[in-house]
Amino acid sequence: MTLRSTISAKPQVWATALAIAVAVALLAYVFGRGGYVVTVMGFAVIYGVFVTGLNLFMGYAGQASFGQNAFAALGGYGTAVLCADYGLEPIVALVLSATLSAVIALIVGYPTLRLRGHYLAMATFALGLITYELSIEQSGLTRGFMGFSGIPPLGLGRFQLLSERAQLAVFILIMLLGVWVARRLRGSRFGRALLAIGESEPAANALGIQVFRYKLVAFVIAAVYASVAGSMFAHFVGYISPEVFGLSMVTLSFTMLYVGGIGTLWGPIAGAVLVSFLPQLLRGFRDMQDIIYCLALIVILIFVPKGLASLWSLAVRRSDVPAER
Amino acid sequence: MIDTSIILQAVIDGAGVGLIYGLVGIGYCVIYNATGIVNFAQGVFVMLGGMLTYTLLTSLGLPMIVAVAIAIPLVGVVGVVIEWFIVKPMLVRNSPMFAIILATLAVQIMIERITIMTAGDQPRTFHEFTAGGPLRLGPVAVGYQLIWVLVCSVGLVLLLTLFFKYTRIGNAVRACAQNRDAAALLGIPVARMLAVSFALSAALGAIAGILITPSQYTAFNVGVPFGVSGFIAAIVGGFGSASGAFVGGIVLGVAQAVAIIIFGAGYKTVAALAVLLLVLLLFPSGLLGKRSEK
Repeated sequence: MTLRSTISAKPQVWATALAIAVAVALLAYVFGRGGYVVTVMGFAVIYGVFVTGLNLFMGYAGQASFGQNAFAALGGYGTAVLCADYGLEPIVALVLSATLSAVIALIVGYPTLRLRGHYLAMATFALGLITYELSIEQSGLTRGFMGFSGIPPLGLGRFQLLSERAQLAVFILIMLLGVWVARRLRGSRFGRALLAIGESEPAANALGIQVFRYKLVAFVIAAVYASVAGSMFAHFVGYISPEVFGLSMVTLSFTMLYVGGIGTLWGPIAGAVLVSFLPQLLRGFRDMQDIIYCLALIVILIFVPKGLASLWSLAVRRSDVPAER
Repeated sequence: MIDTSIILQAVIDGAGVGLIYGLVGIGYCVIYNATGIVNFAQGVFVMLGGMLTYTLLTSLGLPMIVAVAIAIPLVGVVGVVIEWFIVKPMLVRNSPMFAIILATLAVQIMIERITIMTAGDQPRTFHEFTAGGPLRLGPVAVGYQLIWVLVCSVGLVLLLTLFFKYTRIGNAVRACAQNRDAAALLGIPVARMLAVSFALSAALGAIAGILITPSQYTAFNVGVPFGVSGFIAAIVGGFGSASGAFVGGIVLGVAQAVAIIIFGAGYKTVAALAVLLLVLLLFPSGLLGKRSEK
């Protein structure tokens, strides 16, 4: 979105101003109101980080990972074990778990990313399932089914973010940092290579792009984002269980990506916020929640595959700017 | 030290489960050949087959043969509904493949939730088709249900082969698999053939679910492990031929059974993925070559 040449900048300025106004209003409401709204917003921001990473791999490079929850689980459990059992600094634990996730993504990605299409989808899907099973089986480390509680909140040294509001504020900063990195990446040589791969692998290959290497790096970066999101979740809730990083995390994150607009910079974030607040509007449908999610996802996939971002380009287009890909 | 007879028993039982994986794997191939998509909701048919039969047996008190005769077509209808409402609209709109995969995954979760709400989340099982047994062959025991599995699955593969080779509809589905546009030009109702492939595939899954339930159990969440294992069986077998999927299924089933003995029951899926990765590493060109032809 940012790369588009702005021959007539006006509609874009207006749309941007509107988006910023909505974001500011939402934040003012959340911080003013407090209570459960802060919790919901916290989850939205955590997922925002998660889907921003996934978007690099799926939206830009056009690959699919149905097992990104594996890396969130690694981050979550890494933080839990290192902070609660070994008393490490949260930031150290976060970096260590993210490094571990990156290494594992590299090892796992090396054979699996040679796969394409359905094979890649299923192999990554199996990765998520295996992590789920391991987190139940390795109960010495993860406390199994019962889950891991007593994880301290985010902090540095003796200073701890005790209120949810304070944690949320830091989370938003982390998310903005994540989006900024994603934006820088997208404009870089690396990002353009990913976009080329997403358009056509043979064509990218013919242009001299080392397709496999770029895919692998994108996968590793997405894994780091997922791991950081997992660590954030562990700090925010103070409790994690295998179920938290289960299959529903996959569908939830995909819903966010597609609702917001896959392959755009802010779309996934908007999707994360919207999808997180939706259940609050749909209270009373407790049992039906998953069904409604899935139904909504299917309808979006069929009828509006580009999500909210297509509304955005409707507002912005108007001039002779070429339509978004 | 692990006894050889235990290993032998595991191999026999694993091969039995592997035949089921083979059936699920063939289900994938049937849809893939006709539509070029992989239906991630394949495992759900296995679950539905078992759950529906259980419900018909217990709450309506029907005899086994009637329950089975009702359950299989019902699951077939579910397959057609999925094709009609989700897959076809997406194919028409040229949706990207991952979107279609995701939609079928969403269907799977929806059906699982609906199953929890209507039939509960408890594991269910029903009696074996024939009482008695097991058959003793030296140190190993072969349950009667295993023989049922063997007979039914081999019979099904034969029937499928005959169906695809000698019937009009079978030939039409194969024509769609080769070239959908050409098939349409020849006057084959392609859309209907896609529905046929979904019905067939769903029915196969249902039969697999009914066959396996007496010796294991069924519950709302058995779909995912069976779906993954079936897919791996299909890949190991080379994604296409029925006999290949069977061989893949048996390899996988045996590997899992042995892994359970050595490492413990929690490592079933880990073993399955290990088999997948090994095959992909050892025969990558064979597996990828098939895709890049297109």
